[in-house]
Amino acid sequence: MHTKWNIALCLLFLAILGLGLPTPALAHGARIQYTVNVAIELVATYDNGDPMAGAQYVIYAPDDPSTPWLAGECDDEGRFSFTPDSSRPGTWVVQVRQAGHGDIVHIPVGQDTTVAGSTGGYTTLQIVLMAACVVWGSVGTALYFSPRRRG
Amino acid sequence: MTKRNLVIAVTMLFIVSIMLTSCAGTGGAVGKLQVNANGEDFVRQGFVSKDGWSISFDRLYVSLADVTACQTDPPYDPHSSTSMDCDVKVSLDEMYCVDLAEGGPNAPPILVDEVADAPAGHYNAISWKMVKAPSGPASGYSLVIIGTAAKDGQSIDFSIKVDREYEYSCGEYVGDERKGIVQEGGSADVEMTFHFDHMFGDAETAMDDDLNVSAVGFEPFAGIAEGGKLDADMAELRSSLSPQDYQMLEDILPTLGHVGEGHCHCE
Repeated sequence: MHTKWNIALCLLFLAILGLGLPTPALAHGARIQYTVNVAIELVATYDNGDPMAGAQYVIYAPDDPSTPWLAGECDDEGRFSFTPDSSRPGTWVVQVRQAGHGDIVHIPVGQDTTVAGSTGGYTTLQIVLMAACVVWGSVGTALYFSPRRRG
Repeated sequence: MTKRNLVIAVTMLFIVSIMLTSCAGTGGAVGKLQVNANGEDFVRQGFVSKDGWSISFDRLYVSLADVTACQTDPPYDPHSSTSMDCDVKVSLDEMYCVDLAEGGPNAPPILVDEVADAPAGHYNAISWKMVKAPSGPASGYSLVIIGTAAKDGQSIDFSIKVDREYEYSCGEYVGDERKGIVQEGGSADVEMTFHFDHMFGDAETAMDDDLNVSAVGFEPFAGIAEGGKLDADMAELRSSLSPQDYQMLEDILPTLGHVGEGHCHCE
């Protein structure tokens, strides 16, 4: 039983270490990486449907909400497009204004990945604790129900 | 300590740790959030209505209640049918009667109130009510517009008093800068903006623009003034204005509330 206890503790530490250890690289391996950059096309119109031709647009990236990431003018049909930086997932904000009229739209990009600084996110400490809890849940259960050492 | 007790103790330690880190949240970061009301240059500097009347404002009282700034995720969209769902909110409990014409032509927006310990984050939505003031210079009214209109040598002193109540729900401010981003120890503001060019029209905007098409203008009010004066509440306007003009007035009043250039939902 003492051996089982030691094995359980070893498994716990190995599991925790495994979370952070890098995978060794192969000397002659090959790797192809790709990134899909999807352009977002927008069209700005007034309430009556007329295009906001020549209106000013300003785009804000999710991780820097106060500084314009890109600015420009809509074309004659009120259209413009941009390709968000895929390394900056979150809600991109686009504002279009002209002559006292304006609107704002929030576009989620890459929201299936972790979004830094989002309202509902977890801190690093919380994530580490949750991972440790999952590991301990398995190890602790095994230890709790393992037969007691006799005599 | 037996093995089982050790397991229980470690498990309890994890549970307590999780609870403590959850309660800590973002560390309780707070900053200052100011709530402003803004009649824009139209009110501070005056403007020419769509029908050529030069309008200046002496007093423009707006009575405000239940002012609430919110952090919403997903961001609240006033064009949608969904209600405002606040993740974090800061509310002003008092009623306020502000004079949007206060100060000179280049005065800043009117500070309604401020919250010194607003939780950090982006306040990207705001709601408020325009209610009848219980006392003070606008007593009994939600909106009192006092000023002078001049055209072709004719001058009319007017006082238009509105007793309708409105409830505005707005998304993020639309303007030269983004507002409402409170950082720890920092200061930010949100704004209730009121567009009075919607009511009188704007000579500098195309006459076929929706703003002018739906605006009442000042000519209908000039038409019911007597001796260069007009002092009327909604009941008197209803009986004096043509049905079409009065209906335009009723229709346009709910559209006065904005967030910068961003529109609001009004009930």
